[in-house]
Amino acid sequence: MTTPKIPNSVPTSFGNSAASRPGSLGPARLAGVAAFLALVFVAVPLGIAASGRWDFYYTLTSVALLSIASAGVWLTFYIGRINIGQGAYALAGGYVSAVLITQVGMSFWLTLPLAGLACAGLAVLIGLPILRLRGVYFAMVTLVLTEVARLSALALPVTNGAKGITSIPLPGELSVLGLTIIPDFATLEDPKLAFYLVAVALMCLSYLALWRIVNSRLGHLCRSLQQNEELAASIGVNTAHLRVLAYAISSFFGGVAGAMFVSISQSIYPSSFQVADSVNFMLNCFLGGLGYVFGPMLGTLLLYFGWDLLFTTGQYQMLIYSSAMIVLMLVLPNGLLSLFDRKGGGK
Amino acid sequence: MEQILANGLYLGAQYALIALGLTLIFSLMNVLNFAHGQMYVMGGFVTYTVVAQFGLPFIVGLLASAVVLAVIGAVCERFLFRTVIKRSKREESTMLLAAGIAFFLDAVILLVFGEKQRGVPKIVDGVFNWDMRLIMPYDRILIGALAIAMVVGFILFMQYSRTGRAMRALAQDRMAAQLMGVDVDRYSMIGFALGAMLAGIVGGLLVTITGINLGMGGPTSVKAFLMIMIGGAGVISGAIAGGFILGMMESIGLTLLAAYGDVTYLAIFATLLVFLAIRPQGLMGKPWG
Amino acid sequence: MTPILQVKGITKRYGGLTAVNEVSFDVAEGEILSVIGPNGAGKSTLFKLISSFVTPTSGEVLFKGDRISGLAPHQVARKGVVRTFQETTIFRSMTVRENVIVAHHLRSRASLLGFFLGTSLARQDEAEFGASADGIIDFLGMGAIRDELASNLPQGHLRALGMAIGLATNPRILLLDEPFAGMNHDETMRMVGLVRRLRDERGVTVLLVEHDMPAVMKISDRIVVINFGQKIAEGTPAEIQSNEKVIEAYLGSEDAAIGM
Repeated sequence: MTTPKIPNSVPTSFGNSAASRPGSLGPARLAGVAAFLALVFVAVPLGIAASGRWDFYYTLTSVALLSIASAGVWLTFYIGRINIGQGAYALAGGYVSAVLITQVGMSFWLTLPLAGLACAGLAVLIGLPILRLRGVYFAMVTLVLTEVARLSALALPVTNGAKGITSIPLPGELSVLGLTIIPDFATLEDPKLAFYLVAVALMCLSYLALWRIVNSRLGHLCRSLQQNEELAASIGVNTAHLRVLAYAISSFFGGVAGAMFVSISQSIYPSSFQVADSVNFMLNCFLGGLGYVFGPMLGTLLLYFGWDLLFTTGQYQMLIYSSAMIVLMLVLPNGLLSLFDRKGGGK
Repeated sequence: MEQILANGLYLGAQYALIALGLTLIFSLMNVLNFAHGQMYVMGGFVTYTVVAQFGLPFIVGLLASAVVLAVIGAVCERFLFRTVIKRSKREESTMLLAAGIAFFLDAVILLVFGEKQRGVPKIVDGVFNWDMRLIMPYDRILIGALAIAMVVGFILFMQYSRTGRAMRALAQDRMAAQLMGVDVDRYSMIGFALGAMLAGIVGGLLVTITGINLGMGGPTSVKAFLMIMIGGAGVISGAIAGGFILGMMESIGLTLLAAYGDVTYLAIFATLLVFLAIRPQGLMGKPWG
Repeated sequence: MTPILQVKGITKRYGGLTAVNEVSFDVAEGEILSVIGPNGAGKSTLFKLISSFVTPTSGEVLFKGDRISGLAPHQVARKGVVRTFQETTIFRSMTVRENVIVAHHLRSRASLLGFFLGTSLARQDEAEFGASADGIIDFLGMGAIRDELASNLPQGHLRALGMAIGLATNPRILLLDEPFAGMNHDETMRMVGLVRRLRDERGVTVLLVEHDMPAVMKISDRIVVINFGQKIAEGTPAEIQSNEKVIEAYLGSEDAAIGM
């Protein structure tokens, strides 16, 4: 009755001769990365200082963090699963960080990886049963997961219910052996720039990790899983193990993004991440293209700015946004990047 | 005890009706209708408008909800899903389309009906009281009974009517149904309309009791997903079983777990995880994959 | 010498239906053994039982004396028992070479973390996989289509690719599921030659489940015949050809592809 459609990822080749291997950094690629780093770390701050549009920092910081969560969703797509549950992990990560800071008095910088690890652990527990599901079934459970996370945050004593956790202190100083690496945010004149730099640095790290995953054996195995789980098992891949691993990494990204968000808004509520956010994470990946590692980053940027531009339309914002989405599906049901497929037939 | 059972039955009847609509659409077209909850909310607002604004009888409101939602469902299938299914290579596409429609309906509801919680006056007054062991307002009993009647009606319709039989054939094997001369396009549209109509009717029924507001769409969809996962997606008996089981679990959970805060859904989800580990296809679903 | 693979009284029931009933036979190291039978005789189920994609209702399969029934497919593969698929199952959106390289998974010495970090062991592994994959591709005569996308390949090449994937795992015994299905005479003969070279040049024991009688007669050292889920005969091609029960079973079925 359910006819599974064959996932058609845009192939990223691997195992070619060393010179053109995507897993290595050729000079052209290195130059591209350098240009990107210069753009986000130097050009953007200079541009903002020149134009005085300090509000852009908030927008771009959000894009950076959302794109980290989306990167996680993308990785679950990469093993052939439609993940609409990233909101749950972003929420969980946010609460882990908030609780550790406010109740244990831990430094934010320590809670950041802990939030990610907590989410990864949670993902292992939840993933073991649900990753056996495929297609819409998996999508359904993950969507339910987001709603359950919200309801749990409302109900559990440690999360302080609907009132949420507020007035969380700004990140403190991070120092190694007495050497200050990141100054105390509370002492900064304007933490906006600091948050932006941290968020973008995190984003770069996340995408570096994702890029390495995809271009290493781990990624090749994920692709084999996406294309045919039975065959993958028959060549000796422990499919159950690999699925859980990918899902845990994906959730780690979600948790880190959530924790970072909380430190910026200095508060978290059960409604901080909900079903609509989970859907948007998926949308970011889809819009940017499922075959490209940097797709989710592009998708997040486009979607977030699109949404922001529509802000001027006031009450019609949602109507126009959703109409655009429906029209997009009608015209390009296979995503924005299918435009390129038709033209060039690949690269 | 009696109270818990009665509450569970009352909730279960509505839930089953919601899940039936969702599972019908899923079984016919393999589309997971994310907008199901929004269709439910829409149905509630239509009844509210007819009854509270125009002052017409409740039954007219209910009929209006049914008609409006059937039309919306038919339009969605005919002009949106049909096109996307034909042109897309991926399963996700219809999901994204459904999500887009969910957002769209939310936006329309916001513009047309506003953000406020709305309700209509009770349709019958009084409370049934059996020795304090079982207390239930008459309007809940009426609505519960109506919902059960509709579930039965739906089963009979699917079992004995020509349309119902055609849709069942379609759900079982699209290709074979086509070869047997079933007009696939036509019955897909009817099925979608019927599914949306069911959601609208439940919305219309419940606006008399719990009222309706914009925010209820998403959570309702999620509950409906839960039900069809419990029962097995795309199976009518599964949707009914899932509806009643979730209703019962909620009723029990709210009573027993009330002391620990509202962790009912956390408990239900944890149970579901264990259940899915043992039986990924749900109670009545066919094994797959 | 103990046989490399022992099938002992294996039975599979689905509800009231017994698909495979008390089938036993041994496979000796280095032989080519075929399981044949008319349509619906239970060949497919038997194949899945041996490759452990289906758990038996009773009975067991032993590989070098160790029980493999009930293990997960990847664990069976790890031991050296590897299957190919009937329905030309491949990684569709990878090239031929990528398909074969990824199938080297079992040979990796570096951990996944090692691959992620790009340690020297991991780089060595990758280099070896590439070289080995090229070797297998050349061995199967697919050098010209090395960088072709698998989804673009014609039927015959897909079958060979399936075999290449199986070979990449470095199997002790390769289970081939209907390797000649849907092939014309020339293609079949080429495949027969290939399977023989697998055994002769690479030392792989081969168990195949097949329908095409002439090919089976040509290729096999020994043949096991099943009908209605039961073993009805076992022996060399010559013995099988003159076995009355076998002839009866095949004449009794309305199968066109007997060719005896």
